[in-house]
Amino acid sequence: MATSKSDLVAGTLALMILKTLETVGSLHGYAIARRIEQISDSQIALNQGTIYPALLRLEQEGWISPKWGESETGRRVKFYAITRTGKKQLRTEQGDWERAAGIVAKFVTLSPTKA
Amino acid sequence: MRRFAARLFSRFRRSRLERELADEVAAHLEFAAADHRAKGLSDEDARAAALRQFGGVTQTTEAFRDGYGFPALERAWRDLLFAWRLLRRQPLFAASAIVTVALGVGANTAVVSVLQTVLLNPLGLRHADRVVAVRTQFVKLQLLHGETSGVEFREVQSLTDAFSAASAMEGRAWTWRAKDEASRLVGQAVTPDFFRVFGEYPASGRFFTPEDNEFCVVLSDELWHTRFGADPSAVGRTMTLDNSSFLIVGIASPGFRFPTNAQLWTPLILEPGRLLDSERGRNRSLSVFARRKDGVSEAQAGERVRRYVDGLMLDDAAHSGEFSRNGYGIEITNFGRYIAGDLRRPLLLLWGAASIVLLTGCANIAGLLLARSSGRRREMAIRIAVGAASSQIVRQLLLESLLIGALGGVAGLVVAAVALSLLTHLTFPDSGILTLVSLDSRLLLYGFGLALASGLLFGMAPAIQLVRQSQSAQLNHSRNRWSRDLFVAAEVCGAFVLIVMTTLLLRSLWAIVKIDPGFDSQHVTTAFFLKPENDPGFFDRLQSTLQATPGVQSAALANPVPFAESGVIAGFAVKNRQEQGALGNAEGFQITPGYFQTLRIPFLRGRDLASSDTATSPPVCVIDSRLAAQFFPGQDPVGQEIAMFNGWARVVGVVAAVRRTSLESDPRPAIYYSFAQIPFFPWAAVLVRSNNSAETIIRATVHDTNPAVPVYDVRSLEERLGATLGIRRAMIMLLSAFGAISLLLAIVGLYGVTAQVVSERTREIGLRIALGARPTQILLLLMRHGLRSGVFGLLLGLGAVVYTQRWLAGMLYNVSALDPITLGVVMSGVLMLVLMAVWLPTRRAAGIEPQQVLRHD
Repeated sequence: MATSKSDLVAGTLALMILKTLETVGSLHGYAIARRIEQISDSQIALNQGTIYPALLRLEQEGWISPKWGESETGRRVKFYAITRTGKKQLRTEQGDWERAAGIVAKFVTLSPTKA
Repeated sequence: MRRFAARLFSRFRRSRLERELADEVAAHLEFAAADHRAKGLSDEDARAAALRQFGGVTQTTEAFRDGYGFPALERAWRDLLFAWRLLRRQPLFAASAIVTVALGVGANTAVVSVLQTVLLNPLGLRHADRVVAVRTQFVKLQLLHGETSGVEFREVQSLTDAFSAASAMEGRAWTWRAKDEASRLVGQAVTPDFFRVFGEYPASGRFFTPEDNEFCVVLSDELWHTRFGADPSAVGRTMTLDNSSFLIVGIASPGFRFPTNAQLWTPLILEPGRLLDSERGRNRSLSVFARRKDGVSEAQAGERVRRYVDGLMLDDAAHSGEFSRNGYGIEITNFGRYIAGDLRRPLLLLWGAASIVLLTGCANIAGLLLARSSGRRREMAIRIAVGAASSQIVRQLLLESLLIGALGGVAGLVVAAVALSLLTHLTFPDSGILTLVSLDSRLLLYGFGLALASGLLFGMAPAIQLVRQSQSAQLNHSRNRWSRDLFVAAEVCGAFVLIVMTTLLLRSLWAIVKIDPGFDSQHVTTAFFLKPENDPGFFDRLQSTLQATPGVQSAALANPVPFAESGVIAGFAVKNRQEQGALGNAEGFQITPGYFQTLRIPFLRGRDLASSDTATSPPVCVIDSRLAAQFFPGQDPVGQEIAMFNGWARVVGVVAAVRRTSLESDPRPAIYYSFAQIPFFPWAAVLVRSNNSAETIIRATVHDTNPAVPVYDVRSLEERLGATLGIRRAMIMLLSAFGAISLLLAIVGLYGVTAQVVSERTREIGLRIALGARPTQILLLLMRHGLRSGVFGLLLGLGAVVYTQRWLAGMLYNVSALDPITLGVVMSGVLMLVLMAVWLPTRRAAGIEPQQVLRHD
């Protein structure tokens, strides 16, 4: 069942971006969007434009830092890299997710009790 | 937090950020298109696919923009600028709206300032909310709010479960000799806990302790500044009061001025004799104040005292019963109410009136805004079509109203400041308190907040209309009108009530002014002085010199002076009467011969006090006709003996009764004694009848007779009489101003509503005329509407007057609050104005050409 776009993406876009940058290194905006689509097996088809406001927010919070560089085709474009505080934030959010998922899992795996 | 700072900074880099975004978006689309091309799509298809994948570029840019700066604030700021430009384009509307708010807010703030100083936070004393005033009453003798004797003070002090501190205060005046100049200082003698009761600390030095003798002094901050030049070394110096040396031990803080005229305080040492039970009801000259213990409410404190007094009365009934028979009691009053006294009801009335003006103004502005917004329907429709949420439009409308409110508020504060500065022109007894009224920052905040709240209030009218319109496709005319009609009716009601009250007060004043006080108050100058020590012949010398002065028709000395202060009220006994103890209460006067001639009070029987009545001759007195009628009916009082002060005195004459405290209250019976025989009081007054003001003559003569005697409070008797009417006059002036403004606003509102009805129904009118309706019929049809609201408002107003009748009656004299003549006259007057307001706009309607109207589509 495809996950509803707005539910999943809005809450976790920041997490996904940070994780992507941590794993892969510094990327430019298009590359980040493509990567997220790939990893989710194209189950998340986000409007790629939504990346940019999210990147702005992450930059304001100090979790990523931009740098100008050149793409493979030689075009000048902004690259983003995760910062140290960004890595810390990633740990925290990851931990929150796993805890939340664990609690929900406990409920979901409950079998109906005989009355 | 970091985000907030980042938002702030990125605001300044806006253009660079936007450029970079545009660049990134362009790059993104390039890469995406390249990828699609690699998959085999044509150039065009690749670009389209890239755009589709991206989502909306405009949306992205807008979402991006929301990420920096403070978009909500910036939107609000833009709306505000727009509102400001809109106002400037409609100066007439803007001016009338702003002036209306200014008047309403200004009046309200001014009244609340006075209310604050007088009632709510009396005298600006910070910790006075826990203070209560303790007074005695003899209900059966109609002696209420009386001062106490030493007993009550001691007893209140002992009620430690209700009060944490208690203090007694007694008025004092001294002659201060400084550099050969004699001046009079006024103050209070207070027990050591006095300042603790009010929660005060000295600005420097200390306050009194139980170990102090009576020769210490605490200066008021004002005296310290005016007569000691704020000299920091004043504490520790001495000053000569009444020829004794007093040590200055401390200076009170600048905020403490109680009583308002107190220049200094000295310790009050009560002799043990004054505290005995037998002293109850005697020597009632103490003002007692107590501080409620923490956690004890006012009601609880009152209850505690009541229980105590009940216990006393049970005991008393078992013995002489003197006190329980006369309805003795000890009453506890909240300090604010004590200070406000007679001012309380007029002030509350004024505040109600000012609120009516403000609400009326808001209703009018709401109506104006509604009329204005129907002209902006196109503008709103366009906004909604372009994508504005109705919440944004509502926000903008409210912002416009808040702007009007804010501008009106600033103007209103100016109005309030001007109004308060005019306060000082009012004089009436106890008007000294008005000098303490000022616009402090809290009141400025209140006024501005009131203006903003009004802005929100009348701003809701167009906002609600907009929300309703956007929810239903058709324009709901009828519902619109219903609320406007209600506004108009309420305005008429408010104006009616105010005008009725003003008229009633005016009639009361008129009735009072016509009252004959019983003496001739014209051409009499009065001046007070302090009796000198060691000068027994002073009074005689002064009077004989004055009488011999050219220009003086007659002169006398007296204490007290009518309409200046009241005399000692005490019980008296008549010799050879069956009843024991005091028969009744009378007011005692001390005079010199010539007093009755000076005031032209007619003699009824017997003789005047004469110079032959001296300290060594038998004590005599003169009584007034009230006493004679009440206690010697059918008898000749001359020759009877009465005891009030100091033993039995023989009645030698009867004079006509005169009014002494106020023109409208019946005076108590009076007994007049000769100064020579009862030399009690430390001060007295000179009364001189002359064609012109005798002030210079009095000052010169007193100085010549004894240069150490200070003269103060020189005024004509007429002025003193007029001062008692001061509050009434002020009330009438203010209420009539408020009433006039309300009426004007109501009539304007009614006119506006009717005009709007006419313009909305123009086509219908044209149709009716074409179908044969006569002009009168059209007129009646249109006027019916406005008339309905007007009459409804009048009926509402009538109901309001009936409802508040009893409360209002306390301020009226000789006029009933439901006086039919007044009600009838005011009602017909307002009705006529209503008719005119409704008739004027409809006049044109009758002359409408059907062809013009029906063609105009």
